[in-house]
Amino acid sequence: MADLQLDGLSRRFGAVTALDDLTFSVPSGHVVGFLGPNGAGKTTTMRAIFGLTDLDAGSVRWRGSPVGPAERRRFGYMPEERGLYPNMLVADQVEYLGRLHGMDGASAAAATRQWLERLEVADRADSKVESLSHGNQQRVQLAAALVHDPEVLVLDEPLAGLDPTGVDAIGEVLVEQAGTGRCVLFSSHQLDLVEDLCESVAIIDHGRLVVSGSVDELATSGPRRLTVRVEGDRLGTWARALPGVSLAEVDGGEVRLVLDEFTDSDTVLDAARAAGHVTQFVFERRRLSEVFREAVGR
Amino acid sequence: MKALPVVVAVLIVVTIVRLRLRRRARGGGHPAPLTARRAWLGDRRLLGDTGLVASREIRERLRGRMFRVVTVILFVVVAAAVVVPTIHSGSAKATRVGVVAGSAALDAELRTVATSVGLRVTLVHESDAPAARAAVGAGRLDLVVDGSGKLIVPDPIAATDTSARARYVRAVSSTLGAERAFAEAGLSPSQAATVARARPLPVESVHPGKKVRTTGEATALLGVILIFIVLTQYLTWTLMGVMEEKASRVVEVLLATVRPVQLLAGKVVGIGTVALVQAVSLVVFALVLARLVGSSLVQGGAPVVVAATLAWMVLGYAFYSWVYAAAGSLAERQDQVQSLALPLSAPLIFGYIVSLTGVSTGNASLLVKVLAYLPPTAPFAMPTLVGFGDVAWWQFVVSVAVSLACTVVLARVAARVYRTAVLRTGGRVRLRELVPARGR
Repeated sequence: MADLQLDGLSRRFGAVTALDDLTFSVPSGHVVGFLGPNGAGKTTTMRAIFGLTDLDAGSVRWRGSPVGPAERRRFGYMPEERGLYPNMLVADQVEYLGRLHGMDGASAAAATRQWLERLEVADRADSKVESLSHGNQQRVQLAAALVHDPEVLVLDEPLAGLDPTGVDAIGEVLVEQAGTGRCVLFSSHQLDLVEDLCESVAIIDHGRLVVSGSVDELATSGPRRLTVRVEGDRLGTWARALPGVSLAEVDGGEVRLVLDEFTDSDTVLDAARAAGHVTQFVFERRRLSEVFREAVGR
Repeated sequence: MKALPVVVAVLIVVTIVRLRLRRRARGGGHPAPLTARRAWLGDRRLLGDTGLVASREIRERLRGRMFRVVTVILFVVVAAAVVVPTIHSGSAKATRVGVVAGSAALDAELRTVATSVGLRVTLVHESDAPAARAAVGAGRLDLVVDGSGKLIVPDPIAATDTSARARYVRAVSSTLGAERAFAEAGLSPSQAATVARARPLPVESVHPGKKVRTTGEATALLGVILIFIVLTQYLTWTLMGVMEEKASRVVEVLLATVRPVQLLAGKVVGIGTVALVQAVSLVVFALVLARLVGSSLVQGGAPVVVAATLAWMVLGYAFYSWVYAAAGSLAERQDQVQSLALPLSAPLIFGYIVSLTGVSTGNASLLVKVLAYLPPTAPFAMPTLVGFGDVAWWQFVVSVAVSLACTVVLARVAARVYRTAVLRTGGRVRLRELVPARGR
C-alpha cells in the first residue's frame, strides 16, 4: 500500500512551472530515491509535503487522507540548506524540535540523547551548532528529523558534502528506518549511493515524473545487455553478423552486446563458442546513472 | 552617595552567584546528563506551541551575553539617575543644624519640619550665637536656629532654589515666625494649634495657567527614557530574530510542524516577556533605591507615573513588535535589516523626542496631547501627560483602547506578511505579493 501519495501536484512561480501534475507514491518500509536534475522540482515537492509552498492543484495524502498539520507532526523533515539555529546548543535544539512535534519534555530529552549517541555526536551536545563541522551539523539535522520517531522521513540532499563515514552512518540509519516500516523519501545527486540504499526511485524533470519503479526493475528493464570475452577474437568479429544483436562497444577484448527481445542468449553463446574459448559471458545491469540520463535526456 | 557602591556590589555578587550556579548545574564544565539539564522547557505546554516557542526565546535571550551586558549597564544608569540628583540636591547627607537657646519643644519642631520636607538633620546644641555663627562660617554647621528669633545660613538662599535644604530653611523660618506671632498675640496653646492648622483657600482661575512642576515629572522623564531604551533594544531583537530564522532556513523546519502565526506570536510574546521582566526589575530597583536615598522619585504622583510607564512599555512593544517581526520576514541579510529598521524607527524616535522635550521643559504642548492618542507615539506622550498630571482617567483609557485596537489590526496584517514572506528566498518580496496572500 502506498502510504504517502503525491497526487497531481502542480505549482507555477510566474512563468516557471515548478511542478506539473506530479504523481508518485512512497510505500511504507521503502527507501525511495527522489532524483532529478537541478531545478527539476524536487525541493518544491518536498516543501509541498510539509505545506511550505502552496499548490495550484493536487494533493498530498497520507494513508488515503489529505495531509494536514496533525499528520505533519508525525513526519520528519530535513531541508536541503541546513535548518538549525546557529547559536543554539545542539541538544537543546534537537529536544526543542522534538517538543514542537508533540513530545513531552522527558521523552524528548531521552530521544535526543539516544539519537545524538546513535549518530555519534553526543560529545557535542553542549556545543553551539555553528561550531560543528559540516558533517556533524548534518548528523544533528538528521537527529532533529528523527527525534520524534516520525512515520515519514523526507530528506532533501542528506548526503551532500559528507565524507564516506558520514555517508555510511546516515545511509545506515535510513535503511534501518525503512526496515521498521517508515516511509523514507530522499533526494540526491549521488546516484551510486541511491542505487545502493534505495528499493525504488522516482525521477522527475521539469516538474513531471519521467521514470519510477524499483531499482531492480529499472536495472533489468530495456534491451538485455551482454558482456562477452572470447579468446582469439578481441574485436568481436564473431558477433557482428548475428541477427538481433548489435555491438555496442569493444573495450580491451570485452565485447558489449545489446540483444533485442526476440534473440535467444543461447544462440549468442553458441556463436561465441564457435569463435573460440569463452572466458566471460555476463548479463549487465543498467546503472542508475544510465537510467537517469535516458530519462532526462541529458 | 553611600548607596551606590552597595548597589554595584550587590549587582556583582548576584551576577557571580548566578554564573556559579549555572556552572555547577552544568557539572563544572563537564556535560551533565541530558535529562537533568533539560528541565527548562517544563512538562506543561503553556499556550501550546506558542508557549514552547516563547519559552525558547526567553531562555536563549536570557542566556545571551548581550542581554547580561545591557542589563548591567541599564542598572548602573538607573542607579546613577536616581542617586546623582539626590547627591546634587544635598539631601543624601544629613544637614547639621546648630541650635542656640533651644528647648526640647524646639528640637521636636525642627525634626518634624525636617521629616515633612524629606531632609535628614542632625541637631547640634551651641552655647551662644557668635560661636554658632563661627561654626557656620567654618562649614561645620549648615544652619543655625537661634531660639531668640533668627536663622543663620552660609549663603543667601535664592527664591528659585527648590532643594530640600532650602525648603527646610523656609519652612523652619515660617513655622517659628508664626509661633512667635501666636505667643505675642497671647493665644493659648490650643488656639495657637488651631491657627497653625490653617490652610489656604483654594484658588480657581478662569483661564488655565502654567502648571507648577510636580514630582511626577522627573519620574516621567526617566520613564520615557526607559521606554525608549527598552523598545529600541527588544524591537531590534525581534526583527533580527525573525531575519536569522529566515536566513538560517530553520524556519522551514519549524513551519513544517507549527503554524506561522504560532511561531510569530511565540517570538513576540517570548521577547516581550524578557523586556517586561527587565523593565519591572529596573523600576523596582529604582523605587527601592529612591526610597533608600530619599529621592523625590517616590513622592507625590510618581507611583502613578511608574505604573503608566510600565503599562505603555507593554502597549508600545505590543504595537511595534508585530511591525518589526513582519519587517524581519522580508529580510535575509544584515544590510537589509538596517534599511528596514530605519523607517520603522522614525515614528518611535519622533514620539520620544517630542515627549522628552515636553517633559524637560515642563510644558505639555498641544502636540504632546495629540500624540498621546496615536498608537505609534502614545507610549511616550501618554506617560508624559501622566507625569504632568494633565490627563483624566478616561482619556488614559481611550488612548489604551485605541492602541489595543490598532495593535489587533496590525497583528493580523503582520501575520499575513510574515506568512507570505518568511519562506520566500532569493529576492525581495514585493508589496503586491503580500496583499492577496494565501497560505496555511
